Amino acid sequence: MKRTFAAALGVATAITLVLAGCSSEEDLPEAKPFPTGPVTISLAGWSLSTTPEFKTLADGFKALHPNVTVELKEYDAANYDTQMTADLAAGTAPDVYVLKNLKNFTTYQDGGQLADVSDVASKLGNTVGGLSGYQVNGKSYAVPYRQDSWVLYYDKDLFDQAKVAYPDGSWTWDDYAKKAKELTTGLKAAGSTAVGTYQHSWQSTVQGFALAQTAGASLESGNFSYVKPYYNRVTDLQASGAQPNFGTVTTNKLTYQAQFGKQSAAMLPMGTWYIATLIKQRSTGDANKFNWGIAPAPQFDSSTTGTSKTPVTFGDPTGLGINPAISDGGKVTVAKEFLAYAAGEAAAKALAGIGITPANTSDAVAATFFALDGVPGDALSKFAWSKHDTKPENPVSKHTAGLQNVLNTLHSAVLSNSKGIDDAITAAQTQAKNEVLNQ
Amino acid sequence: MATTPLKRRNALVGWSFILPNFAGFAALTLAPVIVLFYVAFTSWNVFGKARWTGTANFIRMWHDASFWTALTNTLYYTSLHIPLTLSASLGLALLLNRSLRGVAFFRTAAFFPYITSMVALTYVWNMLFSPDYGPINSFLRFIGIANPPGWTTSADWSMPAVIFVGTWREMGYYMLLFLAGLQTIPAQLYEAARVDGANPWQRFLFVTLPGLRHTTFFVVVIMTIGSFKVFDLILLMTEGGPGQSTLVLSQYIYQKGFVENQFGYASAVSIVLFAICCLVTIFQYFVNRRWND
Amino acid sequence: MKRNTAGRVLLYAGLIIAAAALLLPFYWMVSSSLKANNDVFTIPLKWVPDTFMWRNYGDIFAKSGMTTWLTNTLTLSVTVTLLQVLTGSFAAYGFSKVRFRGRNVLFLAYIATIAVPWQSYMIPQFILMSKLHLSNTLFSIIALQAFGAFGVFLMKQFYETIPEELSEAARLDGLSEYGIYWRIILPLSKPAIASLSLLTFVSTWNDYLGPLIYLRKPDLWTVQLGLRTFISQYNAEYALIMAGSVLSVLPIAIVFLFGQRYFVEGITSTGLKG
Repeated sequence: MKRTFAAALGVATAITLVLAGCSSEEDLPEAKPFPTGPVTISLAGWSLSTTPEFKTLADGFKALHPNVTVELKEYDAANYDTQMTADLAAGTAPDVYVLKNLKNFTTYQDGGQLADVSDVASKLGNTVGGLSGYQVNGKSYAVPYRQDSWVLYYDKDLFDQAKVAYPDGSWTWDDYAKKAKELTTGLKAAGSTAVGTYQHSWQSTVQGFALAQTAGASLESGNFSYVKPYYNRVTDLQASGAQPNFGTVTTNKLTYQAQFGKQSAAMLPMGTWYIATLIKQRSTGDANKFNWGIAPAPQFDSSTTGTSKTPVTFGDPTGLGINPAISDGGKVTVAKEFLAYAAGEAAAKALAGIGITPANTSDAVAATFFALDGVPGDALSKFAWSKHDTKPENPVSKHTAGLQNVLNTLHSAVLSNSKGIDDAITAAQTQAKNEVLNQ
Repeated sequence: MATTPLKRRNALVGWSFILPNFAGFAALTLAPVIVLFYVAFTSWNVFGKARWTGTANFIRMWHDASFWTALTNTLYYTSLHIPLTLSASLGLALLLNRSLRGVAFFRTAAFFPYITSMVALTYVWNMLFSPDYGPINSFLRFIGIANPPGWTTSADWSMPAVIFVGTWREMGYYMLLFLAGLQTIPAQLYEAARVDGANPWQRFLFVTLPGLRHTTFFVVVIMTIGSFKVFDLILLMTEGGPGQSTLVLSQYIYQKGFVENQFGYASAVSIVLFAICCLVTIFQYFVNRRWND
Repeated sequence: MKRNTAGRVLLYAGLIIAAAALLLPFYWMVSSSLKANNDVFTIPLKWVPDTFMWRNYGDIFAKSGMTTWLTNTLTLSVTVTLLQVLTGSFAAYGFSKVRFRGRNVLFLAYIATIAVPWQSYMIPQFILMSKLHLSNTLFSIIALQAFGAFGVFLMKQFYETIPEELSEAARLDGLSEYGIYWRIILPLSKPAIASLSLLTFVSTWNDYLGPLIYLRKPDLWTVQLGLRTFISQYNAEYALIMAGSVLSVLPIAIVFLFGQRYFVEGITSTGLKG
């Protein structure tokens, strides 16, 4: 019997050791006035040597508050959330951490790993986009500092070669498809092997637009019929050869940077983060030097097209949140001040200065961005960058991650022609109903 | 039952051998695994307290169509991957267990797929399998097959393609274990068989195979567990697609745990995977015992 | 005689074709490592670079911490291999040559844990290691890898093939169990030790997920972790990534080339009279 007892004791010890120590929902330490002595807060970031935004924010804050040091803790860009989950669970995470996308925001918020920062959010001006994405039951749990949104990149040289007129902001998706085909024919006639457009393999390239632009579309409804016209257009473009097909994109690991940068495709729907990359690759020789511009994303119908209207697009903000395990009240005040700074205009200008699209897009910020060397200066590019109604790609809900997995299955099934669109939608709706929405 | 001094002494000696490894193993692997068994009966999101939910996770699994798809796919993978890899690796080991000029080079070549970075390796195979531009389909068209399969981009052919790459990658690994096993077969046995007039096939059947039975048991068990747990290869080659055609249990566990943050449910699926592996291993153990007698 | 020569030629031809097929992806890695970044993934597949970019190899040492990564990985691989072989072969002796109660149950527990997918107990294990202040040190990886069940199982299966009479004879000569292990069994298990060492070395060398979770400080990174971080840092610099991958494969290839000589027919047959 002794043996059994010892074994049971061992098991119990193991369980308590691992689980009991887990940080559970705790209240923040009471806020204290802003400290005057030296203080250090830690901030999570990734790929520090190639992603200067974290250092820009840390240095900018230090300039305002010389007694505060923002210490950067490096994470892996591709596995940021896995590492952060482990760190938060073990209580070794930094004081302030980045929410890379909205999909995982719910996980952290629901798990009690984000402090209430409603007081910071309420003081931010209306030029800050993406705030509402971080609200749950009227409270804010993070503030955005950068807000990329999807636009249409186009290669002016290839358009000229194919003798097709540049985008003018009036395009619906049907116009886009028509132009893609015209470009392909025109380029072929001119002896070029380039095609009309390139659509990357991600599900967001189709579903992000469908969800943002279709009236009444919602992930949570479990009704996915809204994706149908979007997929029909893409499968038609694939079949006509106006864009590389999904199988080729995935098996040959085509990169959008090479397809557009090396002039293999005349158009590219992509997020605004690619502006900085393209400029850099042109200078290193990884991309060709050609004339290019950005246009608003094509629209669902003509009700939102034209430069007098606000085009609808999508994109997740990148935000900052406070770890509730933060040690003392003084640091809480500093961390909140840091959040307010990061979402404010001064930080936005600094971020725009390194090619980043900040959440705060006031006119002054736009001026800084377009003063950068290599950014296209035409009026439509400026319009596309600064004016848009950006809907979240991942609306906040505990079902979002699960539903996106279901829809990713649909995406690969339809684009590889393994399933017809109607069958795939029916299957996805059944799967969503039985496996995700009932949880 | 009274313990005799001899038995006690034996137990003491036995434990003294096992302890250095067991201490590390118990503290760092066994303890977390035990925790996992507890978590499987709870609803746990990593951060908060685990809430006891009894068998709810297992009932949910029973009604979860994606789980059954993942299970079927895993069985599909396993049932082809094991016999293929087993015969390929044993064949390689027999072929390369001789004094042959350049044998070191050929052994290294056979082992190379296993050490080549998985990322690079899946890139290359995906490009070889590319439906429109890949060399494999170009060749098939050249020999007159008008509509070659879409391989990793086709729901019907993605699993065979993945199994093929899995076998190609791992045969060198198991070849190494068989090579080590072949060294334990005394040369005298072959001599005796030759004197008795046994032909090469008979020598293989009556000397080599019985001599390898301990190695074979080890290889089969490790291979079975490895096939049931296949993860990286599929994630990098097809991400479980197209559709759910290559979704396997390990990936499903990862998805539920790390992507959807339902660690309780993910643990429950792990327990099922674990139980299947155990059943198969115990079955193999008894077959092996029978074969030994 | 003639048939024999023809057979040899055929055998070599077959082997060479097979070797070429096995080495093909590696060849592609090498060729891609010498291409320009945006030429790595193209349609159709390019087997020979347009221009040879030798500076990719210089760049990778300049841009990344390759030297640190190689040192760390080597330290880890050697330590883990030594510990795994020592404790594994020691424990295997207990499991195969000493009879005592509870032995089989304990052994089953060892094998059973191999069947549990690591992703599912990774977080509890990380919490535990953090409590022990082991995370973010090289010790965490050593602790994680060195006491696995794999080595115990492999060595035990090998010991089973060694005839019991050998140990019995030694016992009659007055050798203790430790003496038998050290003087008789260990020298006889060279091929098994060689294969366990090679496999442990390779799996530690190529381990990615372990270092990803446990080693956050850049000066602790291993080659695999460093390379993948490098990939996500320099998004589209595929040629550099391939150059790094080639560099990470070469050391293991060399270790293998030397290690494989322990698998020579007849090396142990003199000692065994089965």
